[in-house]
Amino acid sequence: MINFTSEERKVILFILGLAFCGLVLNNLVKVNCRVERLIYPAMQLAKLDINKVSLIELAATKSVSLELARRILEYRDKRQGFGSLEELKEIKGIGDQRYGKLKELFFIE
Amino acid sequence: MKRPLVILTVFYCLGIIFADFTRVNFWIIVATIILFFMIVISLGRNKVIFLTCVLFLAVLLGCLSMRNSWTMSNCHIRKFVVYKNNSFYWLNGRIVSYPEFKNNHLWFIVQTRQVQFDRIRYKCCGKVLIKMDFQSALNYGDNLILAGSLNPPPRFGRRQGYRDFLARQGIYLIMPIKNSRQIIHQDKSRGFGFIRWCFCLRVQLEQVINRHLSSLPASILEAMVLGQKRNIPWLVNDSMVKSGTVHILVVSGFNVGIVALLINLLLKILRLGRKLRIILIVICLVIYCFVTGASNPVIRATVMGLVFLMAYFLKREPDVYNSLASAALFILVINPRQIFDIGFQLSFVSVLAIVYFYPKLNGLVRLELCKIKLLKYIGQGCLVSFSAWLGTMVIIALNFKIVAPVTVLANIIIVPLATLITLCGFTLVLSGLIYSDLACFFSLPTAVLITLLLNINAVLIKLPLAFFYL
Repeated sequence: MINFTSEERKVILFILGLAFCGLVLNNLVKVNCRVERLIYPAMQLAKLDINKVSLIELAATKSVSLELARRILEYRDKRQGFGSLEELKEIKGIGDQRYGKLKELFFIE
Repeated sequence: MKRPLVILTVFYCLGIIFADFTRVNFWIIVATIILFFMIVISLGRNKVIFLTCVLFLAVLLGCLSMRNSWTMSNCHIRKFVVYKNNSFYWLNGRIVSYPEFKNNHLWFIVQTRQVQFDRIRYKCCGKVLIKMDFQSALNYGDNLILAGSLNPPPRFGRRQGYRDFLARQGIYLIMPIKNSRQIIHQDKSRGFGFIRWCFCLRVQLEQVINRHLSSLPASILEAMVLGQKRNIPWLVNDSMVKSGTVHILVVSGFNVGIVALLINLLLKILRLGRKLRIILIVICLVIYCFVTGASNPVIRATVMGLVFLMAYFLKREPDVYNSLASAALFILVINPRQIFDIGFQLSFVSVLAIVYFYPKLNGLVRLELCKIKLLKYIGQGCLVSFSAWLGTMVIIALNFKIVAPVTVLANIIIVPLATLITLCGFTLVLSGLIYSDLACFFSLPTAVLITLLLNINAVLIKLPLAFFYL
């Protein structure tokens, strides 16, 4: 027989344990769709909700100046929220290039 | 002298720093080195004189190496470009990096061969960073003719700005390419075959990750396993900076250790001999280093790993300090300006702090007396995290202007979780390479752990006094 060190035994047990967990989770996802929400991270962890973001949070992104952040919030308040991210292009100072950056930062719930 | 390599490295680094602060003439340093060599040869029998001269020589070599890195070749592309003059240049060169799409631009580095302006062609050398506004099927090694203006990189800070960062890599110019008429694709794939193969392998590994995980977990796993941070959302990166756990998003010595362990295990199952196993592990580590982009932490970890493996091969006792010094020397001999890179400083200082402080703190706390295994592990984790924080705190505060007391707590929780994710990631990637359907077993547990990590991090940075800006 092959002589495994204690670390190598742990690695083999880890791989088998991981495969077991994967099978159980796979089955749970098939049985109950809600489980999928627990498995994958929520969008809020990766992007800011443009309809809830504050002035400080907007300015902290470094993709918009304080002046532009104020304009975005003014536009949001006037329209009572954004319907789609495309509406950002209607704000003065946001061209195609800046929009490309902003759409990676924000989402609409 | 217990650790000669450590002392030589320290003095070599002092020489580099000295040369950066002073503007000593290159030939004065050369003359001093010759003088010291003559002293060593004539009076070298005296131990004290020999040692002093060798240490001075190490300092002077550091100085010389730094001064040499500033000297630019006469045919360097930078010397043909007049700043604040929007001239049109034609460049002929070869792609020497992997083209990456980031922030809506395709970025790659071109090693120039020929430059043309005012209808005259000149032979040239040096690298230029290309910023393309559109996607194109370009690869490492492709020969191109590019047309456009050549601009210096923007400066965002006094010392650690983007311009300094690129200058450390030997890049002084950026060429923006706005439309496809500015680029002529000559012929394909002329670079080093090994590097091209490593890039292909990286693409394959990225495909395995993207096939089995959704975009956010995939971006995090790509950073942790393959060192590719380009897809990480800004918010995730920012929250990890605030909690002081952003280091988990880079490939480090831990990853190199996992690769070595997994390869060793596979080869052991194949019943290969010890020496052959070590040689194959060394080859795999070098491949992994290139696949992850050969950044400073990876080179450091790879060289340290190679020194350790070499010690096992020669049946010698490996020493952490000596292997760390050899890794530093390896990087600094190639490019002495890397000593001013924050990545280099953090990578070496954190390892040094853990190696130095951990045994001392462990001696104070006496963890070995603890009989409950779980408590002992948690205690060890706390001490390692605290040691690294102690070592890197000043560098982080000076460069990022942020102090995060939550770092110690965050690292205790997040580092073990990140370890688990990295292990899962390697299992997923390797199984996906062998047989795609096999990776399905490992994708869901990996996604669960990444979700857990992100949620814990989000909670930690909301704690009172978690972090504050200076």
